[in-house]
Amino acid sequence: MRKRSPAVQLDRAIDALLAALQPVPEAQTSPALAQLMPIARALRDLPRPDFKAALKSDLQRRTIMSEAAAPSPVPAKPPQFRRPNFPNIAPYFLVGGAPQFIDFLLSAFEGAERIRVPRPDGSIMHAEVTIGNSVVELGDANEQYPSRPMTIHLYVPDADATYARALEAGATPIYAPTDDHPSGDRWGEAKDPFGNTWYIATRRTLVSGAEGFLTVQPYLHLRNAHDMIPFVEAAFDAKATGVHKSPDGIVRHATIEIAGATFELDEASGDSQLTESYLHVYVPDTDAVYAQALAAGAEGVNPPYTAPYGDRAAGVKDPFGNTWFLATYLGAQETKP
Amino acid sequence: MMAVRRPTQKATPQGEEERLLVQAAQNDPAKFDALYELHFERVYYFLARRVRDRAIAEDLTSEVFHKALANLAAYEWRGAPFAAWLFRIAANALADQYKRASREQPSSGNANDPDELPDLSSPDLEAIDYHARLFRLVDRLPAVQRQVIRERFVEQRSIREIAARLNKTEGAIKQLQFRALQSLRTQMEGGHA
Repeated sequence: MRKRSPAVQLDRAIDALLAALQPVPEAQTSPALAQLMPIARALRDLPRPDFKAALKSDLQRRTIMSEAAAPSPVPAKPPQFRRPNFPNIAPYFLVGGAPQFIDFLLSAFEGAERIRVPRPDGSIMHAEVTIGNSVVELGDANEQYPSRPMTIHLYVPDADATYARALEAGATPIYAPTDDHPSGDRWGEAKDPFGNTWYIATRRTLVSGAEGFLTVQPYLHLRNAHDMIPFVEAAFDAKATGVHKSPDGIVRHATIEIAGATFELDEASGDSQLTESYLHVYVPDTDAVYAQALAAGAEGVNPPYTAPYGDRAAGVKDPFGNTWFLATYLGAQETKP
Repeated sequence: MMAVRRPTQKATPQGEEERLLVQAAQNDPAKFDALYELHFERVYYFLARRVRDRAIAEDLTSEVFHKALANLAAYEWRGAPFAAWLFRIAANALADQYKRASREQPSSGNANDPDELPDLSSPDLEAIDYHARLFRLVDRLPAVQRQVIRERFVEQRSIREIAARLNKTEGAIKQLQFRALQSLRTQMEGGHA
């Protein structure tokens, strides 16, 4: 019988090892190969280099965010392209019964209504509510923009108190805040009466409380979420600041930054149903970003135009079904009710 | 006033270096990177060998480092290795994971059974250091050997798949795998990574 080379013998032993997840009896290998098998066995637990790098970048991001949250004698000057007091990527809720939804936001999340533009029939064309340091926008759904439930990550100083208030205001409990969440944050989940899901969390990082963090972050559950990352990078000059993938490449969580504001995404699954969101994002140059987005595969919804309220605005729909309202603040007018 | 002598562990050069790293990270959290680089493989292996599921091991490793970063300011150096503190956080995370798994699969009767929870209070430091050193040595292999090892053991791809991906013959991949393991063995016998 032809004698097999040591490399072939070793591979057969490794095959058996990987298939059985058990040690291969040493009798099956030559003494020389038997010396290599402890190394092969140990390598079964070799970590993914991508995971090590992603976790490191996630930790760095947290560090930076914590430092940013530390009290500073000089308040950060908002970039000029951003409308004043509009720090985050705002979810734009289109719901049936916008006035009632405003009431819910005020009661559940201690929101403050800052703009309401009613239609003659009493429905709401546009409204803005501040929650913590962030803004959410809303209006009554219509044919062009039908209602779509969204998921929002809400960072608050006391997740338990906010969760309790949300339930009192009519939200349905999904689970009460717990310290068991893999993020390390205290984290609960509730669904509002309009179908939106709220992840209610309190940071467990170096700086306690929500000050300094954006209170509101849209959270997108997508199909083929890994394809969204190159899209937003190409379309919106986005940066993925923390990407956590499973060994088979499924995005379990990613934080994406666009022009200094962030949103999160992951692969839709049983617990996190597919979402198609409406998002309002300030960018340094609406016209350029609109063109980039179309080149990256987005569909035009509204070509760039100068809005009467002083923004250069445009709309695109990404290949995942999310609608992005792009804006650059021109500084010509103050926002008025 | 009478001086009180406390029993202390003798500081080793490595211990002193680690103490300085911890202190630096406590003063400037951006320097937590150094501690992460030093301990990532240890913590990952500690968890991976207990849960035998890569995704869970990754989730728990992530949890451990996030918690360590969050609580670093409260960490007090008492002479014990920093890793011991990380293993304690890891053991707690693991215990919580077993509890969760047993709640979700109350009658599974498998490795998630809390009765099969290993002794978390005494991590096998020798095995942990052995694996951590080996994992770091993989990073230093020649690029193509490193890629074969990762494709084979992390992605669990067959020799045929790896050959197709790297545009080489199956025989060449087997040789690369063989040389990589030989090289790792020689280096493991030769000293520290």
